[in-house]
Amino acid sequence: MNNDVPTDLATNAALSVDSLEMLLHRMIHRIRHSLELSEILTETVSEVRSFLGTDRVKVYRFHPDGSGEVVAESIHQRRLPSLLRQRFPSEDIPLQARELFLKARQRTIVDVTTQQIGLSPLDCPDISQTQKDADIRFRPVDPCHVDYLTAMGVRSSVVVPILHQNENQRDQLWGLLVSHHATPRHITAQELQVVQLVADQVSIAIAQSTLLDQTRRRAEQEATINRVSWLLHSMTEMQPQQALGLVVNALKGSGGRLYIAAGGNGQSEQIFTVGEQPGDRLIKDLTLKIGDSTLKVETHPQWQSWLNTQVAVTEVENVWAIADVATSGISPELAASFQTAKIRSLLVVSLQYRQHQLGYLSVFRSAIDIETLWARRVDREDPRQLRPRQSFAAWLEVKPAQSQEWAFADLELAQALGQHFAMAIHQSRLYYQVYALNADLEKDIQKRKQAEIRISALNAELEQRVLERTAELQRINTELLDEISKREQALQERQQARDSLDRLSRQNELILNSAGEGIYGLNLQGETTFVNPAAARLLGREVKELIARWMHPILNHSKPDGTPYQWEETPIYATLTTGAVQHITEELFWRQDGTSFPVEYVSTPIQAQGNIMGAVVVFKDVTERQLMERMKDEFVSVVSHELRTPLTSIRTALGMLAQGHLDAQPEKRQRMVEIAFSNTNRLVRLINDILDLERIKFGKTVMQKRSCTVTDLIQQSVDAMRAMAEKAEITLTVSAIAAQVWVDPDRIIQTLTNLLSNAIKFSPQGSTVAVVAETTPPYDQPLTDHETEMVRIAVKDQGKGIPPDKLEAIFERFEQLDASNAGHQGGTGLGLTICRSIIHQNGGHIWAESTVGEGSTFYITLPLYQIGSSP
Amino acid sequence: MMKRILIIDDEDDIREATQVCLEVTGDWEVLTASSGNEGLMKAEIERPDAILLDVMMPGMDGITTFQELQTNPATQHIPVILLTAKAQTAEQRELTQLNVVAVITKPYDPFSLSAQLNQAIT
Repeated sequence: MNNDVPTDLATNAALSVDSLEMLLHRMIHRIRHSLELSEILTETVSEVRSFLGTDRVKVYRFHPDGSGEVVAESIHQRRLPSLLRQRFPSEDIPLQARELFLKARQRTIVDVTTQQIGLSPLDCPDISQTQKDADIRFRPVDPCHVDYLTAMGVRSSVVVPILHQNENQRDQLWGLLVSHHATPRHITAQELQVVQLVADQVSIAIAQSTLLDQTRRRAEQEATINRVSWLLHSMTEMQPQQALGLVVNALKGSGGRLYIAAGGNGQSEQIFTVGEQPGDRLIKDLTLKIGDSTLKVETHPQWQSWLNTQVAVTEVENVWAIADVATSGISPELAASFQTAKIRSLLVVSLQYRQHQLGYLSVFRSAIDIETLWARRVDREDPRQLRPRQSFAAWLEVKPAQSQEWAFADLELAQALGQHFAMAIHQSRLYYQVYALNADLEKDIQKRKQAEIRISALNAELEQRVLERTAELQRINTELLDEISKREQALQERQQARDSLDRLSRQNELILNSAGEGIYGLNLQGETTFVNPAAARLLGREVKELIARWMHPILNHSKPDGTPYQWEETPIYATLTTGAVQHITEELFWRQDGTSFPVEYVSTPIQAQGNIMGAVVVFKDVTERQLMERMKDEFVSVVSHELRTPLTSIRTALGMLAQGHLDAQPEKRQRMVEIAFSNTNRLVRLINDILDLERIKFGKTVMQKRSCTVTDLIQQSVDAMRAMAEKAEITLTVSAIAAQVWVDPDRIIQTLTNLLSNAIKFSPQGSTVAVVAETTPPYDQPLTDHETEMVRIAVKDQGKGIPPDKLEAIFERFEQLDASNAGHQGGTGLGLTICRSIIHQNGGHIWAESTVGEGSTFYITLPLYQIGSSP
Repeated sequence: MMKRILIIDDEDDIREATQVCLEVTGDWEVLTASSGNEGLMKAEIERPDAILLDVMMPGMDGITTFQELQTNPATQHIPVILLTAKAQTAEQRELTQLNVVAVITKPYDPFSLSAQLNQAIT
């Protein structure tokens, strides 16, 4: 377009300042009170035309390709045709001119009539500064420009650029504020300044409007995002289908796809579609070729490789904006697939979340027919516009099947939506995982619940069983306790019985062990079952040698005459076979050393329930008893003899006297009387001695002990025997001591008298019998611990003496040294026996020492009486 | 015809009283000895018709004396009557087993002694 300046506006040169201010004030007010750019622009062109008084004022807006369109117009009384909504090709305002508009804010005033163009750059491009005094410099206008304006019916034009700062704060040529006048019109610098002010205000309005548009768009985008987000992040369930629909609508697509790749945890891939879709033919062919019925376009290998070759929108990550599939270098197969569905433009958002490829969100736009109302038909034969435009008749150009390019805002929106989709898918996957986990958990819980139910049932059963078992155990326990109690009682009783048995056994053992008799038990075979120590001792053996032995050969059991018994002959065998108790005396058992001893034994059967189980033999060595019996027999015999002897004399003598046979023989008669009397005395003495001896020996005669002087005892004895000594012409000598003894003086005198009597009897005529008393041991010798100080009295004779083997025997009963002299001496044979008994009863000893041919000495010792200590 | 009897006894009173008894109550000529040895000697010399022998004597006792009498051909035929003060059955049995004609226990019955002796030697 060529600018021209109307020249017929000179009348308005004297425009008052007030009206200018009013104009500006009104403009600014409207701009500020209107948010709609079209309204502002309409008001602007109206006000400017009114101000300038020109025929047409318009606002021409550039398209990115350099072409332009009349977006607002004010025409005065149809003096010029309307150009509203008409497009002008870019060639009408060449690039050079557009740059001058932009960089220099050059304003042009063209006067077709004068063919002058006034140029008034507002900025200096070289120094990038606004000129303070922008003047208008005129020069000849290009003839083409003149032709162009002339063709439009314009004689004067004023063009002021409208600049607009884009988002990057860089000025861009938004459009032109143009005034046309069909007649010449002079434009003053003042008017130009006013228009410039208006253009500046328009720039502000554009900025505001752009901001408003951006705000609105962003609001819409955010609303879309919010709705999509609400659908995707729904609490109940993701609604991708609806969300996809919103996306497609928001992006003004004809269709869209949401492909969700297969996720882990068994999530299969998903595809959601809205509207136009790529043709199925390709997919089907690929499926046939590859054999994968789940194949989607997003998984098509060529899709992947194609996307990789495409340069994604640099400002918007993960977004591919394909304006025209046909020219995008896509494989023919894929292109055909899209073209089949009349899909021309493609917006692909790679859904990624933290570098995980989750799928693709694709929005398609179909090809559309674009109608452009050109201000004139484009001369295709003069593409370079070398010829001036001759006609401006409007021409509607229709371009079929045109692609729809994606705006940057679309890409931003797509990216934002893609992020939400990615996040939602990711969350969905997480949710799915959680759901799967929950499901697993639920299954686990169900299983566990079932298991718990089973366990509970089992527990209940177990508990029941435990209860039953517990009851049973308690019952058993009670029974066991009873049983244990019984057993303990039984054990206690048994223990008591055992203790009793042990006690009895010990007692029996003690009895057996302490028994003086030999005791042994036999079984039916004659083998020993027990042997007491006495039995072993009597047999000269150890108990252990006798246990479990056949006893018969060990005993060498013999008859009283020494003939060995056959086993079957023995009374013990008879006990074992017949059960008869055998009481046997005077048989013989044999010791180990080969000596025998007379035994008295009793064999008693051991019977249990009427059966003979064995025998117990109790035996004792009767050697001593036999000896005693013999001694008794001898004693009886001697006593009998000693009694019968004088009785014989007495009986015979008295018998003779009684018959009177000796009446005629007085001497014999007298002799018989004497014999009778003498033997009667002898008999009396004998009886007295026997009785005396027995009394003393068995303690029936109590010794009347008291303190006596030894001298007195000896002297009284000697005095008693002095007559007998004198008769026998024996001299008695005494050597006494004045010691005190604790004795029965009568019995000691009896003893000393007896000893003196014997000494006198057995001493030769004219000899001496000496009585000597002394302490023993002597006073000057210390006593041993067990010694008691004694007095020893010796009666010493000078008789024939006593053979050594008789020195002890003479103290036995009726043992006289020389029986032939017994009668002569008138002794009873019991004197010394009685003496020994008396001395023993008085705590002393008596013994004899003798040398045959020299004499004998009889000693007695008596305990010394010590004052202050009771003997 | 008067028979002769030798009394051997260590007891003087018994010899004397027995001699008186036999002389008075019977027709006996009494010889006496106070010991076994004396009795053996008198028996061999006097060859009495009977010997009344005391068993218990000091020195040679009656049994030994009897055995000596039996071993001497001069005296072995003389009937011996033992006179004993041992009155126990066992002792009596032991004595009767000797080859004596009678055993008379002291104290004998002075009124029947002579008859006992006569019965013994017949």
